[in-house]
Amino acid sequence: MHILVVDDEKIIRDGSERILTKEGWKVETAENGEVGLGLLQRGGVQILLLDLMMPGIRGMEVLKKVRDDYPKLIVIVITGYATIDNAVEALKNGAYDFISKPFTPDQLRIVVRRAEDKLKLEHEAELLRRERERSLKDIAYEKSRTLTIINQMADGVLVTDKNGFLVLHNPAATRVFGLEKDSPLGKHIFDWTKSKELTQMVESVLSMGGSNPPQGMTQELGWGDPPNIFFMAHTAPVRNEEGEVLGSVTIFNDVTWFKKLDQMKSDFVEMVSHELRSPLSSVRQLIALITDRFVGEINEKQQELLNKVLARLDGLLLMINNLLDLSRIEAGGLIQQTEKIFLPEIIQSVIELITPEADKKNLHFEVTCDQQLCTIHADRQGMETICTNLLSNAVKYNQESGKVIINAQNRGEFVEIKIADTGVGISKVDLPRIFDKFFRIRTEYTRKVIGSGLGLPLVKAIIEAHLGTITVESESEKGTTFTVLLPRGI
Amino acid sequence: MAKILVVDDDPDLVESVTVSLEKKNHIVIPAYGGIEGLEKAKKEKPDAIILDVMMPDKNGYEVCKELKADPVCQDIPILLLTAVASKISTTTYTHRMGMETEADDYVDKPVEPKELVRLVERLLKK
Repeated sequence: MHILVVDDEKIIRDGSERILTKEGWKVETAENGEVGLGLLQRGGVQILLLDLMMPGIRGMEVLKKVRDDYPKLIVIVITGYATIDNAVEALKNGAYDFISKPFTPDQLRIVVRRAEDKLKLEHEAELLRRERERSLKDIAYEKSRTLTIINQMADGVLVTDKNGFLVLHNPAATRVFGLEKDSPLGKHIFDWTKSKELTQMVESVLSMGGSNPPQGMTQELGWGDPPNIFFMAHTAPVRNEEGEVLGSVTIFNDVTWFKKLDQMKSDFVEMVSHELRSPLSSVRQLIALITDRFVGEINEKQQELLNKVLARLDGLLLMINNLLDLSRIEAGGLIQQTEKIFLPEIIQSVIELITPEADKKNLHFEVTCDQQLCTIHADRQGMETICTNLLSNAVKYNQESGKVIINAQNRGEFVEIKIADTGVGISKVDLPRIFDKFFRIRTEYTRKVIGSGLGLPLVKAIIEAHLGTITVESESEKGTTFTVLLPRGI
Repeated sequence: MAKILVVDDDPDLVESVTVSLEKKNHIVIPAYGGIEGLEKAKKEKPDAIILDVMMPDKNGYEVCKELKADPVCQDIPILLLTAVASKISTTTYTHRMGMETEADDYVDKPVEPKELVRLVERLLKK
């Protein structure tokens, strides 16, 4: 606290300085108004004790000057005649308080301390005011920055209130619906977008109760008639702290280009499947006519050589099939349609399919399925491909008279399938690579087995497309176990 | 001995089927496209038809549908030859399509000659 005492009486100046300095305050003194004003100009003074009756400039004039030049300065007037008139006039002129001569040290301390309290309060109020100003500024800045980000996004954004009326959208969303002039704010989502699917998505998200998990919905939507623009729409509820749904937010990714690529890819797949498979099929059938003696006898060596040709052709055909499946999955196409699937049925039909091959090795199947095994939502062809590949591997790489153990059971939100064999196993070195495309384990044993190196990558891709996982454990010469976890789906 | 119409745009495949069937003393009438197959079916009234699915002018499903809608040909049993990519998806795929097109049987290419003969003989018994 910095105090200035202006009084022509030395005894008052010295007395005040002594009393106030003891309190730990910094005190300066001036014997008249001119000197006082000079000291004030140097700055830092917070409280001014001012005698009203002085030679030279009168105290009241000093007070008026001070009020204009230093509005924050607190002035306490010292008045020789303790009259109400003087005090009232001083207060009218902006003094904060007055003290009349003669005064006791206590009286002085009280008056100054009160002034100090006022200063502190003013200081705090000022701090609060600044704080508030700054946070308001921050909010405004934050808001405009967020808006800038939303407006710059390449993905469309639509926000609705809890009744499905539009409260926010960005230019990318406007471009989607092609209505640039008319502001859609305040319109119902259906009135603006004319999309039943989108409206349904938004409405079902809005109707999610507080207890539902806060996840949203994702769906592919087409616009135009016939659809020529495609979007992946993700809708999620906007909730307050209590979990109450306040509205919805929808993000649109333009996937038109991917759809086009997808189409190109499936056209390519079509082409390859016909152009490569057909001639190979014909070649295979023609050679089989010779090996099956439809066109006369052949000798043993010829038979042996032609059998090798047939085996290689089968390998090629298998590779083409797997390659096509794989490329379809990578284009996101193998989950053509999901339906309710009871896995034991598929496992059983696949076992029937590979039984002839298993019988050649005298293999034995052990199947245990949970009686209450849940159905899953999945693509039927995909599930068949997974089971065929895993089971036929379990047969191909098994030992004579070995076992294939299949176990299916519920695991919370998942269904778990374990397929174990008692075969040659996979070494620790090879284990991490078995899901790589075109990777084949090179051993004396596997050289005899026809494979494309695409079976397991295909299986993994299908499982992952279903948001599941596949893991493998293996011990050389003991056997291999594949564990598949598939979400049951909604 | 039966009269069998073989429809496929690939002459080598037609030949391999022909050899398989002639060995069993069947008479084979070849057709190298969907439209030709339709015409020959109506003209020759074969005892059975082996019909490829993928043909450039008119695919096997269409041919099959038309034949089954034709009063003269609707009772001729049809074996569909498919060349859809994966082995396992083929069973479901062909099954679905085959049912829809009312084909009597179907098999994925390539098919072993012996298996083809067996399928045709089963077809003729219908």
